[in-house]
Amino acid sequence: MAECVRLDSSTSSHTMDKSITLPPDEIFRNLENAKRFAIDIGGSLTKLAYYSTVQHKVAKVRSFDHATKVNRELRLYEISVQEEVTARLHFIKFENAYIETCLDFIKDHLVNTDTKVIKATGGGAHKFKELIERKLGLKVDKEDEMTCLIKGCNFVLRNIPHEAFVYAKHADSEFRFQTTQPDIFPYLLVNIGSGVSIVKVESEDKFERIGGSSIGGGTFWGLGALLTKTKRFDELLQLASKGQHTSVDMLVKDIYGGSYGSLGLTGDLIASSFGKSATADKEFSKEDMAKSLLHMISNDIGQLACLYAKLHNLSRVYFGGFFIRGHPVTMHTITYSINFFTKGEVQALFLRHEGYLGAIGAFLKGAEEDNPNQYSWGENYAGSSGLMSVSPDMNPMQRARSGTFDMLEMDRLERQLVNLPLLQDPSSYIPDTMDLTEDALAREYWLYCFEEALDGVVKRAVASQPDMPEAAQRAEKFRQKYRHKLQTLRQQPFAYGSLTVRSLLDTREHCLNEFNFPDPYSKIKQKENDMALKYYQKAVKSLEELSWEQRQFALVRVELMAFISCEHPERPWLVDSYDQWFERLKGPPHKCALFFVDNSGVDIILGVMPFVRELLSRGTEVVLASNSGPALNDVTNGELQILTERIAAMDPVIQAGLREDRLMLVQSGSSSPCLDLSRLDKVLAMVVRERQTDLVIIEGMGRAIHTNYYAMLSCESLKMAVIKNSWLADRLGGKLFSVVFKYEVPAGKPSQHSAALSPL
Amino acid sequence: MSLSSTSSHTMDKSITLPPDEIFRNLENAKRFAIDIGGSLTKLAYYSTVQHKVAKVRSFDHATKVNRDDKLYEISVQEEVTARLHFIKFENAYIETCLDFIKDHLVNTDTKVIKATGGGAHKFKELIERKLGLKVDKEDEMTCLIKGCNFVLRNIPHEAFVYAKHADSEFRFQTTQPDIFPYLLVNIGSGVSIVKVESEDKFERIGGSSIGGGTFWGLGALLTKTKRFDELLQLASKGQHTSVDMLVKDIYGGSYGSLGLTGDLIASSFGKSATADKEFSKEDMAKSLLHMISNDIGQLACLYAKLHNLSRVYFGGFFIRGHPVTMHTITYSINFFTKGEVQALFLRHEGYLGAIGAFLKGAEEDNPNQYSWGENYAGSSGLMSVSPDMNPMQRARSGTFDMLEMDRLERQLVNLPLLQDPSSYIPDTMDLTEDALAREYWLYCFEEALDGVVKRAVASQPDMPEAAQRAEKFRQKYRHKLQTLRQQPL
Repeated sequence: MAECVRLDSSTSSHTMDKSITLPPDEIFRNLENAKRFAIDIGGSLTKLAYYSTVQHKVAKVRSFDHATKVNRELRLYEISVQEEVTARLHFIKFENAYIETCLDFIKDHLVNTDTKVIKATGGGAHKFKELIERKLGLKVDKEDEMTCLIKGCNFVLRNIPHEAFVYAKHADSEFRFQTTQPDIFPYLLVNIGSGVSIVKVESEDKFERIGGSSIGGGTFWGLGALLTKTKRFDELLQLASKGQHTSVDMLVKDIYGGSYGSLGLTGDLIASSFGKSATADKEFSKEDMAKSLLHMISNDIGQLACLYAKLHNLSRVYFGGFFIRGHPVTMHTITYSINFFTKGEVQALFLRHEGYLGAIGAFLKGAEEDNPNQYSWGENYAGSSGLMSVSPDMNPMQRARSGTFDMLEMDRLERQLVNLPLLQDPSSYIPDTMDLTEDALAREYWLYCFEEALDGVVKRAVASQPDMPEAAQRAEKFRQKYRHKLQTLRQQPFAYGSLTVRSLLDTREHCLNEFNFPDPYSKIKQKENDMALKYYQKAVKSLEELSWEQRQFALVRVELMAFISCEHPERPWLVDSYDQWFERLKGPPHKCALFFVDNSGVDIILGVMPFVRELLSRGTEVVLASNSGPALNDVTNGELQILTERIAAMDPVIQAGLREDRLMLVQSGSSSPCLDLSRLDKVLAMVVRERQTDLVIIEGMGRAIHTNYYAMLSCESLKMAVIKNSWLADRLGGKLFSVVFKYEVPAGKPSQHSAALSPL
Repeated sequence: MSLSSTSSHTMDKSITLPPDEIFRNLENAKRFAIDIGGSLTKLAYYSTVQHKVAKVRSFDHATKVNRDDKLYEISVQEEVTARLHFIKFENAYIETCLDFIKDHLVNTDTKVIKATGGGAHKFKELIERKLGLKVDKEDEMTCLIKGCNFVLRNIPHEAFVYAKHADSEFRFQTTQPDIFPYLLVNIGSGVSIVKVESEDKFERIGGSSIGGGTFWGLGALLTKTKRFDELLQLASKGQHTSVDMLVKDIYGGSYGSLGLTGDLIASSFGKSATADKEFSKEDMAKSLLHMISNDIGQLACLYAKLHNLSRVYFGGFFIRGHPVTMHTITYSINFFTKGEVQALFLRHEGYLGAIGAFLKGAEEDNPNQYSWGENYAGSSGLMSVSPDMNPMQRARSGTFDMLEMDRLERQLVNLPLLQDPSSYIPDTMDLTEDALAREYWLYCFEEALDGVVKRAVASQPDMPEAAQRAEKFRQKYRHKLQTLRQQPL
């Protein structure tokens, strides 16, 4: 791997190694089916984009045909592994020095393609035009640089959660990721290349370069080279990070002896950049001059950005360009400047995939006939390198690596994802309860947990494919990849946006899929479902025998008990609003309940279904939302359809619900053990709106604790879970197997129902 | 006087003009103020001047027979008027000047001298020792704004726009009835951008560390040239295109879809990042000058837009009398506002701090209640300081420069019947813009001078020294006419 080859100090050796240090087939993945190429050639880096299709194994469930066959094994459904083709976007970034080698490799592996054209953008595109056309036999078609940049920016902002972040050098976590905004427009993009372009983006197709400056990255580089005789941009930044600007700059206190209070200028403020070098007859150190130059340029750009933002009334300002790209030094100075000039009103935002914007945009231009914007796309954590902290002193190893190859892969999601319409404030919604990037202790713990659990996951993966002899080998590859991701995350917690339990779980699912373990739990789920189904009628019957009051409590108890095998904890629970819920149940029925379900087996069949039954009996419509794809032992939409049919056959209440369309199954759009209410299937959102849903029920640790614990909804909500992790229980102030039963009525909407109940 | 301003930099500490022609009316001086900048000192004082005035008096027809058949009688009387003196000289002369003042200061009960400017604290001890006055520091920005308000209100044609290639470099603005609000961009070592809303209300709304000090400091590092004036001179000879990366250097031509012309600077010093060659001092200085002027221009425009201000005045040592920087700043403002905002400069910009400090000290006299007029006889006038044009005058402007203002006895205002006071121009013909007309009228006035001298002598038949004074008048006025021929502004 690259790290091993280039262990020698990244700062002293600048001769470029023209051989590719990563096996090229690990970089240019899925080239066989590649089509639609786009390339963005900058001053030093080339970014290549292509579209390809990937064959996946997916686990499918199919009901046995009960009408014609006797189910001999007493199994509910059969599981089959099928091949499915999904679309994937590949983006690869490498140094211009490798371009010829890369083109050769692509040429050799490009089969089955009827591609005739490669879209090209970036300042270097014309220089390599001839080479590309000769090597690949494709016609180079130039696209407008700014248009590509903006298109790419819109795409990542829309499709990649945690794309944007603020940078805080001295905070617990350097990177603070922003939640995706439902509406990304309007925003200001400040692109700091050789010069600066300030672009206002108002919609997908409407942008305007409202300003710019000739004082940009080229000025830092050019003046820096003249002043310090250092010709490399990175080295200049490194010099700057070691310098003291105060020996070169004239500060307010150098003129006035202290602050200039009546004008609100502090003594340490730079009054005049390089002001001291005008008259002082001494030599200045390279470091100090570089630092002063860096401050001068960053402050200037910061001030211009703020003024344009104010003038056009924009609050979101993204910074990009090679001056910024992955350089903590410049991100810090720009952030500082923006804070200074706007007194915190505007935040400087940076983008994780900023370097790819041009390539993504050029690709999208070429793919317009496929209308890629009509789909939702998701970052594939297994195939993407992640953001590298490139502080030169922090980790020279990774720096070297990021300097060679960097990848981003995005999968086309089968369903379009949107916000849950019932979110109280979509723009402030954060799915994750705990941000592990900001909490070092929690991070340590969870990374350890996932590493500990890895052996078990590998075993289960192998066991899920008993007929496949090479499964053990694939499982080992999975282990290596996921362990490496965990190690990366230990050093770079921000590699894929905020590190959360959800992202750790999702990354594991992506890696399992990568090595064709689409559903390691399928057999276990099947067995548990079969088993639980046998007890359904008995369970319903015993509930029926209880009084109404007793039954309401029993339903909650049973629902919660499904998660644990030990004795049920006594009330009051850790979080206990059962009494309010009970009072509410005495009131009029809800119009429609949206129920996000969790596990297969006992949970869904003996916990959720009786609860659903009770709701239906009260006259409440129920929408059951389950995962589109497999994740752990969570029940999938495919499985739930079969289960519901079988239960309906035994239970007239469920049957009537289905028949009268008062019980409906929808998919969540997710294949995660967690729940992101801002990325849900479009159909689900439509149903929720149509049915005037007024109750949302979320159950299980992954959905109600790790995520959504603090989610604020605009209707009543019920979050139920048992905390099965002692560390987490401790964090929340409880013990292992503490119960969380959180019933919430949105503020400002005191339930009209309970009001209706009162005697007057 | 040094004839070549560029080759000789040794400073002559002796005063080259007779000091009594500079520090006029010192006998009656009171209320001193001093503004000490990085290189120049500006001294202000108030004095009274004895004038002869001609008075007419009607004969008393009731009691006397008017024997000579004359309507009224004429008498010459002494009258005392107030005058403000402002003198600017290099810091190097400060000690000599203080000595001279001390020696000539009589009849004064002044105890205090108002001081402002970054250098004030450095010379505090010297001033107190030499003059025996207590130095009283005044806020620099307050003084600057006060001075600016004062000149804008009292000196017609104070503000001008600079147009390098026009018939006349300087196009003066008519005085506006209401001078507020305006933006003052003071380019000293750094840049202060101040919004002035009324006599007493101003706010520093912005600023930048990229200012005159940056041009000087970076320029010194890049070119090993330590003098600000020399750097400007280098810049005026350089080609910025060899150092700057232009739009066409990146895109081969213009970037039409973004509206960027090919000649636009994409990246200041962008070519020096990768090119492995030596750049000339001139080219680097020029590139630096463009970089800084454009940046300040853009910031000024943005603040003007943001605060909805259309009048933007530029001052500070970066600007002060330097056509090179006035030109680049003007160009930048035109570029960024597409002509909507004009860069305005001030004839007496260098005196603002001193005027303001003086006014602070004179607040009990309420000088703002009077109207003041520039005394052309006692003021040096604006110098065109293009270094190549007239090195002689440049050298002089480097030594002493004066402004005198007389208090007018009556407060002057607009005729209320003017249709549009802000566009009213009293003069029918502007000789600065019309070279032929200028030639003619200057010739006329010179031709007429002999006649005027004769008439002046004849008007005072009882005074034997009248002829001598008339000769002095002839010399002074002829010198003014000669100056105006070379410097119509």
